[in-house]
Amino acid sequence: MKSTRMTLALAICLALVLAAGAPAMASKIVVAVDTPPRMMNPHGDDSDAGLSFMANFFDGLLQRKGANGELAPALAERWEHPDLLTWKFYLRKGVTFHNGNPFNAADVKFTFERLSNPEVSEFINTGKTIESVEVVDDYTVVIKTKQPIPWFANNMHQIFIMDKESTESRDPGDVMVKPIGTGAYKLVEWVKGSYIKMEGNADYWEGAPPIQNVEVRPIKESSTRFAALVSGQADIVTGVPVELFEPVKKNPKLEVVSRPARRSIFLALGNKKGSPQADIRVRKAMYMAINEDEIIEKIMRGHAAPAAQVPDPPTIGYNGTIQRLPYDPEGAKKLLAEAGYADGFSIKLSGPNDRYVQDAKIAEAVAKYLAKVGIKVELDVKPKSIFFPEVTDGILDFYLIGWFDGTFDMGRTYFKIAHSRDKDQGYGGLNGAAYSDAGLDKLLESTADIVDPAERGKTLQKLNKMAMEDLIVWIPLHYQEDLYAIQKGQGIQFSPRPDRWMVYKEISR
Amino acid sequence: MATYIARRLIQGVIVLLAVSMICFLIFRYMGDPVLTMAGRYATQQEIEEVRRAFGLDAPTHVQYARFIWNALHGNFGKSYVSRVPALGLILERFPATFELAATATLLSFALGLGLGVMVSLKPYAWQNRLVMAGSLGGISTPTFLTGILLIMIFSVYLGILPPYGRGETVTIGFWRSGLLTLDGIRHLILPAVTLAMFQLAVLLRLTRAGMREVLTEDYIKTAWSKGLSSRKVIFKHALRNVMIPVVTVAGLQFGEVIAYSIVTETIFQWPGMGNLILTSIFETDQPVVVTYIMLAAVIIISINIVVDILYALLNPKIRYD
Repeated sequence: MKSTRMTLALAICLALVLAAGAPAMASKIVVAVDTPPRMMNPHGDDSDAGLSFMANFFDGLLQRKGANGELAPALAERWEHPDLLTWKFYLRKGVTFHNGNPFNAADVKFTFERLSNPEVSEFINTGKTIESVEVVDDYTVVIKTKQPIPWFANNMHQIFIMDKESTESRDPGDVMVKPIGTGAYKLVEWVKGSYIKMEGNADYWEGAPPIQNVEVRPIKESSTRFAALVSGQADIVTGVPVELFEPVKKNPKLEVVSRPARRSIFLALGNKKGSPQADIRVRKAMYMAINEDEIIEKIMRGHAAPAAQVPDPPTIGYNGTIQRLPYDPEGAKKLLAEAGYADGFSIKLSGPNDRYVQDAKIAEAVAKYLAKVGIKVELDVKPKSIFFPEVTDGILDFYLIGWFDGTFDMGRTYFKIAHSRDKDQGYGGLNGAAYSDAGLDKLLESTADIVDPAERGKTLQKLNKMAMEDLIVWIPLHYQEDLYAIQKGQGIQFSPRPDRWMVYKEISR
Repeated sequence: MATYIARRLIQGVIVLLAVSMICFLIFRYMGDPVLTMAGRYATQQEIEEVRRAFGLDAPTHVQYARFIWNALHGNFGKSYVSRVPALGLILERFPATFELAATATLLSFALGLGLGVMVSLKPYAWQNRLVMAGSLGGISTPTFLTGILLIMIFSVYLGILPPYGRGETVTIGFWRSGLLTLDGIRHLILPAVTLAMFQLAVLLRLTRAGMREVLTEDYIKTAWSKGLSSRKVIFKHALRNVMIPVVTVAGLQFGEVIAYSIVTETIFQWPGMGNLILTSIFETDQPVVVTYIMLAAVIIISINIVVDILYALLNPKIRYD
């Protein structure tokens, strides 16, 4: 009798435990993304697709939060910028890595010194700008840069801190496939080409993430990704192509989530002496000849917003007063005639055909618009792996390209794509049409020495206006739109980030 | 025989050298991997520094000689993209491709042989004409279309088969197998059928042609007139003689299917070697692509040599001098 009662009590207890366990039982989400990770070494891939994975396993000193990607503390609780070359970070206490090692200043020093090793890092540029990393105490680090880098802190969300002890003691091959970070998720299993399974880090310093198990399935083929969503095999899908937008929207089980992308698409135009496009009137005419509204409507199927400049609104240096030149083919013809090109001229338009949304089609449309005002365009679109080296070599005249800056700082962008090519200083490396204007260079260089962020922002805005209105360094086209699709009615709370990263601690269901 | 094998082996090595050399030359025109490796914000100087660090500043023939030297020591270099040994990266994907290719080959072999025999017996029956027309479709429909159509029908509209991936897998030693779970087999059906389609059509037509020729031979007439059962005549006397070329072609195709499953694997996000190779080509990951092509060449060359040797063993009339 007694034993039966005991058994019964035990059974009830067990039932209670099981019942209580049920709601807390791990929530799970399956996400199909468009790009697979290359490796699990957080410094070895500086593409956003790669950083998007790393942001779940690792933390930076700072992080980006919210709809506009505001800079927020992460492994550093706060930071100071006492002079142009010095950055002081106060580190968070009590944080541990996934292997139990405590996080401290030695790990920060190790991480920043690792950046300049080409064997393991694609952040060589960041690594080489650092003069020294000084450990003041276990939780204070002072980083000195060689030149003033006004956007140094703005970059700290993508430099992920690694554990010194385990990174040094493990085989280098193991470091490439097993991430040991402080992040909200721990890697469970990575089967290359198949899936990445991760589980919530219960000891995460921000608290355990709402979703316990995340399974990421990279599917490169967009129609297959779409099939995965429709057949219910994925909860969230990234990178919905514009041509599949309508079928996804019509499907009652699915919901489309879109947000303006940070990336702008524009045409870079050189100004070599003696070339027609060195004349500002010709530049203006080419700008006015392109019907951007039609490109957005017909080619982007409405999923883009017209751009009047290269940076997007959250970027330091964005200037809301800059307006697009109106579409006016007649005016363009008149300007061309004034400049002495009433019969037009010939120019080669280059661009990638596998990089941006509808890139080759946009280039074709541009060629047609320019033909209408008498400019003969020879079209040269090719795979990005062949196109980008030409940009780096600076041998182009006129090309389509897209840009957004991970640091939210226009200054860094302009040094790369607008400053005259200068190999010694490392400026203008992606100024593929070798645009050059002494006034612009001078104003740009002056911004690096302005300490006050507000004043620097103002100068950058002035610079931006000068580049877009007085010089027409580029012909801006549009900002892309990021499209995602999720299963409707599953209670999935998901708001896309401006940088397109998939940070799973921000998603709940 | 021994001299024959030795000669074939030497020929194989020459072919491998030629293949690797062509790969190396092609990569001169496939884009610059250093640009990605140095990072988006690298300056010209930093790019050159990375180029030196990876030995990519040396002239092509020096790089090639270095590659051959290392390859002879079993070292095929590290992937520029994932920075781990290229050979390991490829071999890790081998089981997936092998299982897919083997299933597809078995499927096409069984169906091709069965249908081929059926069609050859009554070539003018309407259902058999339909099969022949279908096989023509199988040969001429490109794989990517077949794959996408199958996904649309069976995954999107009917929702009965999964559209991508391998499903649940079981790992035995280094071999990750999807054949041991129901989920794994369900995931295998669509890609295997897609991959089998082309092969099936070829084997079917080969069997049919062979059977029609053999069925008119005198010894078959003798067999019929002896009053043997039709099963015995068709399968024992006729089909056995047709089998030799069919088996040869199926064997050769198996090598090709392994090497060329790129399209099928990409559509179905099948985590095999073909999928890896396509990504690597786009990312100018020279070590992985070159290693893969060398590996594919080794597979095809060895299958050829084995088939040739088997021929000599199977048919003593064949002499190699």
